[in-house]
This record gives sequence, C-alpha cells and structure tokens, in this order.
Amino acid sequence: MTTLVPVTYKGGVYRHDEIMDLIDDLGGYVVQKHVMAQDVVLQSFVPRDDIDLIREVAKPLAGEVAEAPLVGTEIAVVSPSLEIHHLPHTACDIAEYLRRAGAKTNMVGLARGFGKRIANLNDEERDIINEHDLAVYALGNFEECIREKLPAIRHGIHVPIVVTGAPDRETLVRIIDPPVEGYVGGVGRIMHRFKRPEELAKLDELVEEVSRTLDARRDDLARDPLSVFPPRLMAILEEQIYEVTMLTHPTPVTAQMEGLRVKLPYEFYADDLRALEVADGVMLGDIADVLPSRMRNYILIRIKPFSETGILV
Amino acid sequence: MPQLKQLVVESPDEVGREAYERIAADVLQDLDLVKVVEYLHIYVDPKVPIFVAAGRLRHMPRAIRVNDFANVNIGEKMTVLDIADETYLAPLLRKLWARYGKENVDQPDRFTVVLPAGVAGEEELEQMVVADPSETLYKDVIYALQYIAPEGFKVRRQYIKGGKFYYVASEDTLPGDIVETMVAPIFERMGVTL
Repeated sequence: MTTLVPVTYKGGVYRHDEIMDLIDDLGGYVVQKHVMAQDVVLQSFVPRDDIDLIREVAKPLAGEVAEAPLVGTEIAVVSPSLEIHHLPHTACDIAEYLRRAGAKTNMVGLARGFGKRIANLNDEERDIINEHDLAVYALGNFEECIREKLPAIRHGIHVPIVVTGAPDRETLVRIIDPPVEGYVGGVGRIMHRFKRPEELAKLDELVEEVSRTLDARRDDLARDPLSVFPPRLMAILEEQIYEVTMLTHPTPVTAQMEGLRVKLPYEFYADDLRALEVADGVMLGDIADVLPSRMRNYILIRIKPFSETGILV
Repeated sequence: MPQLKQLVVESPDEVGREAYERIAADVLQDLDLVKVVEYLHIYVDPKVPIFVAAGRLRHMPRAIRVNDFANVNIGEKMTVLDIADETYLAPLLRKLWARYGKENVDQPDRFTVVLPAGVAGEEELEQMVVADPSETLYKDVIYALQYIAPEGFKVRRQYIKGGKFYYVASEDTLPGDIVETMVAPIFERMGVTL
C-alpha cells in the first residue's frame, strides 16, 4: 500500500492546474488551495515515492515541494482573551507559523481566560476546542499564574494540549499537573512580532512539539485505521455535493485527522450527507457520525474506525 | 532623541521580571512615550497578586498656538493664515468658527484660511491656543500602564498629576493603604515625594 505523506507545493499560478492534475493522477489529494496574487500554495497528500516526480514536473514552473507535517490537521490556538494584552502577538504569530507548516488553525479567544483566580472556560469554548485535533494554549509569563489557571481553562478538554509560556520547558513540565502532551518554554506574553532568530527558533520548536504529538495520534490511527481517509472523503464530498463548490469560505471543507468540518448548514444538509454514497452500497452515515458543530451552524463529520464498522473505503 | 533614563522592573519571579522589562519597553515604544516618561519603576508579584508602576514624566509638551504652525499676514482687506503644517488644521478651524462665526472663516484651499480684515488682531491670532497635547498624554500614559499590567489585574487605582504618576492593580480588592505601603516607598527611592 502506498503511504501518503503531507507536503506543501509553492509556486506560481501559471500552469498550477497541471500540478493539481498530477497529484490527482498519482492518487494524492489536495486538501487546501491558497491563491495569493500570483502565488499558489497547495496543501496536499501525495504518495511518498512520487514526491521526486512532482519536483521534476514543478521544476520548469519554479515550484517547490516541501514536507509539511501538519497538513490535514485543524488546530485551535487558544488565547486567554481577545484583549490587546494577548493579541496580535504570540497568539497570531503562533497561528501563522503553524499555518506555514500546513495546519488549518483557528483562533479561540476565551471570554474569561485571563487572571489566575478568575480564569474559566465556558461550555461553548470547551466544545469548540474539542472539535479540533489539538489545542495550543498560548499562556503568559508567570509560573504561578500558569500553575493556577491552566486547570480551569483545560477543564473538559480531551484533545491533546500543547502549552506555551515564558518559564522554561522544565519548569512547565514541573508545574503542570496532570501533564499535557507538549510544552514550549520561553514564549510568554510578548508585545512585539516574533522576528529574532531565537524567537523564530521557538516557533520551530513549537511546530516540532505539535507534530510529535500528532504523530503519536497518527500511530494510534495506523493500528486501527479509519473507515475512510479524511482527504479521500473530502474529495468525494466535493465531487458529489455541488453546493460545497459554491461556498466562499477559504476552506469550505476542512480536513481533520479523524474527520471533516463541512461549512454547510447542518439543518439542511445533514441528512443529504448521511445518505451520501461513499462507495458501492456504503453510505456516509454507515462509516461516520454526522454531527452539528458548535462553530456556527457547520457540520462536523467524525469518521468511525475500521474496528467499529468493518468497512474500509 | 532623549531615551528613557530608567526602566526598572522588580519581581520575585525572575523569568517574569525579564519578560515584563521587554513588555514595558515595547509598549512605551509603540505608544511613542519613550520621550515622555523619564522614569518608570514596576513591581509585580503574581503571588500577592499585585502590580505597581510608578514614575515621573519628563516635561509636558506645551500648548500648540497658531504661530507654531501658521503665518499670519494682515492685509488691507483680509487676514490670511498661511498653514505650514496641517496636523492642527481641524482644531484651528473649529476654534475660528466658534470665535468669529462660520461666515467669516473662508478656506480657499488646504493651506490657506482667510478672515475679513478687522475681525481679529495679529497678536490675538498668533497666540491663540489650538490644542493641548498634554490632555491626551495623560490618557496615553494610563493606557500604556493598563496595557503593560497583567490582564487579569482588573481592580486598579491610578493617579497622574504634576509630572508624577502611579498605577496599582490587582486581581483582588486593593487594601486601602496600598499607596502608602507600596507606592510611596518607590517614589522615595526615586527621590520624589508624592
């Protein structure tokens, strides 16, 4: 079986459709396409053995293919509030950097996540964070505050958490109980853009920490694979439900590690989706849960594992 | 350009202290207050929890008068104001309308304001106060401190008068004598009495 690896293609608009066709022909999937002026970025999954072929085809077009470990994941960047204290730096810089590594990031600004004693998390925030593959908590400068407030703002979160804060990694590991999946020290509340080499190195460290955490989850998934690979389901959806192509969202269908977020209203499209024929005689409802998302009125598709359905599309 | 003479941050948490030093420097620079704040002393202890900032302002910018940005030419039939810098044009026009009436204030182009002869004397026009930057400066300094302080510290007491300022904030209720116990000693070390 060919292994699909996440890559980013960066190149010009000119003849980029040839690259898209090539990826399609090779059995890969484009999960996200960004057109920025004359540049195109394609976040895609391609067979490992064919990366060199894509590089060769892209050469005359001055396109670059780079491995992007976070393609096909949706990550929540959680900021204690949307006040000027926490934004735009740290939270936005982190979100932007994760995007460069291929992730689809959403910023979650908590209503009352500030303060060590008064911090809390409401049910909507909790549910929205839980709809992601991973949450990055961008916390502040004081050890004391991180220790006291984190239990309150992680209450009920069951997705992996990566915490950033000003204390060094060892201190974070020591003060956070129960432990979280990842720690990045030396990134606290800052008031300037990340631009010095040591600051950018911290962001690289964060990407590494996030991909390490997600790789662990991928390994679990490899042991009990999903009934359908999310980008594959995404391709089927885009082909069969024409309304998806008419959405103006940058990512009308967002690929996650274990499902998809479809930006169509749940009340009108949920039944259509459940009845969608994914393969011969297999309905989407048989292999996945079609759920209302807490994010607007979107649809969240959670794909069931093979062990539960006995179907592999 | 005169630089901030002293920025001192104290905290029992060394990592936090360094971070707050950088935050304070960044905020003052962003809000263009480096030239204005002469001394800033911050003490922050998340365990109490308390945030105290105290300091001195360098000099207050003086009031802006018409002759700072315009030439007044008295002619036989009319008085012409030749505007060199448009920054304060809007408040100038508002002042002129209020004082001489809209019908007497004509603005043929961006850089010229014309008044009929005789409504205003040269001296009177030249010395007219158009804006006072110190009014907004006070707000800017307090905003900067609010911005530097940890966000959860919502309970606060602030003071700015005669070139001295302080800002005390906490997550809990502030004790009534906080100014005497925490702020006054800082001013003492600066050699200033509150």
